[in-house]
Amino acid sequence: MENIIIDETKYTPKIVLDALKGEISFVGKSYPENTFEFYNPIMNWLEDYFSKTKNNNTIINFEIIYFNSSSSKLFFDFFDTVEEASEDHDVIINWIYDEENDSALEAGEDFIEDFENLNFNLVKK
Amino acid sequence: MFNEKNDRRKIEDDRRKPDSERRHSDIVIPENKLVAEIQILREEFIKTTEKLIRDVKRQDKIMVRSDKRQQKEYDQLQLQFKQVEFLNKEIEETQREIIFTMGAIGEARSKETGNHVRRVAEYSKLLALFYGLAPSDAELLKQASPMHDIGKIAIPDSILNKPGKLTSEERVIMDTHAGLGYEMLRHSTRPLLKIAATVANEHHEKWDGSGYPNGLSGENIHIYGRITALADVFDALGCDRVYKKAWDDKKIFNLFREERGKHFDPKLVDIFFDNLDDFLEIREKLKDVVN
Repeated sequence: MENIIIDETKYTPKIVLDALKGEISFVGKSYPENTFEFYNPIMNWLEDYFSKTKNNNTIINFEIIYFNSSSSKLFFDFFDTVEEASEDHDVIINWIYDEENDSALEAGEDFIEDFENLNFNLVKK
Repeated sequence: MFNEKNDRRKIEDDRRKPDSERRHSDIVIPENKLVAEIQILREEFIKTTEKLIRDVKRQDKIMVRSDKRQQKEYDQLQLQFKQVEFLNKEIEETQREIIFTMGAIGEARSKETGNHVRRVAEYSKLLALFYGLAPSDAELLKQASPMHDIGKIAIPDSILNKPGKLTSEERVIMDTHAGLGYEMLRHSTRPLLKIAATVANEHHEKWDGSGYPNGLSGENIHIYGRITALADVFDALGCDRVYKKAWDDKKIFNLFREERGKHFDPKLVDIFFDNLDDFLEIREKLKDVVN
């Protein structure tokens, strides 16, 4: 399957979806004008990725420094999909945050609380 | 599994009933498909409501976080606004000080008395307000006014401080101070310095076109130039200078009446006389202290 690389913009993060390496990363800010439309191809790719690969080691790096509420909702949906897939995939999620960015840390903590079954690491930069 | 459970329940129900109503254990009640379907529906319903509850809780969480973040951002913004406001004031204050200091340098070189530029600034502001300019413009003029003679720093001392009448050659050099001041200031894009440039360039222009450096007339002379011309002459005539003694008020007022529509904008001369007490009050308040 094809990899997806989306460059960072003023409102959206750099996104790398590498099926071969099993690496997924989001770096930057996330407050797109239409969040669900923007992330739709990403979500489709993710479902496709988990359905086509089995027992694959996957690393997901999230380094989002600023995000709006709808991105927050989207990330919950994203982790829902990951959680479903984690039954037959090894997935490690690194939530990378800056020490001075309380919002990013708190969001990471929220995700950990909501997704007990996921292998979630809070990684201080 | 569900059917077994159902059957057990039915048997237990039967036991609680009186004997007459109790069914015989050998009667087999056929499996009701409807019950099975309802069971599935119930499972689905539970799943869906659990998801709904989870989603609502997530939304609440997102909202609380979002509110908290917004408040924090708002506080930060307010703080930054205050800082920007402070810095803006600081910049304006610095500009004002620099302009005033430059004016004072010019003044010191031409050995003019201490409060001349201050009085000209105050007269100019008052004239601007009575003329009908916006208070903010009047304030800008007041701040820019001290630099009207800044070009004099490029005039040799021998001419600038000559005790007596200038020769025609010397007069030509002396008169270049207006254009020189303009040249010094005109490159700035700052509103205050642009006004200062205009004032420096046009404060020796005369209403009838006989002034310098460009011989502009009437309303072709910027209102700031017309105002400063009147304010500067009013103050200069009332002061001792190296080349002349101070005039008395009667002589000054006579000159103003004579020069109404010649040297000065007639409307400004009228404003001056209509509000004479205000101008005299400024003169009194900022009078030079004789050592």
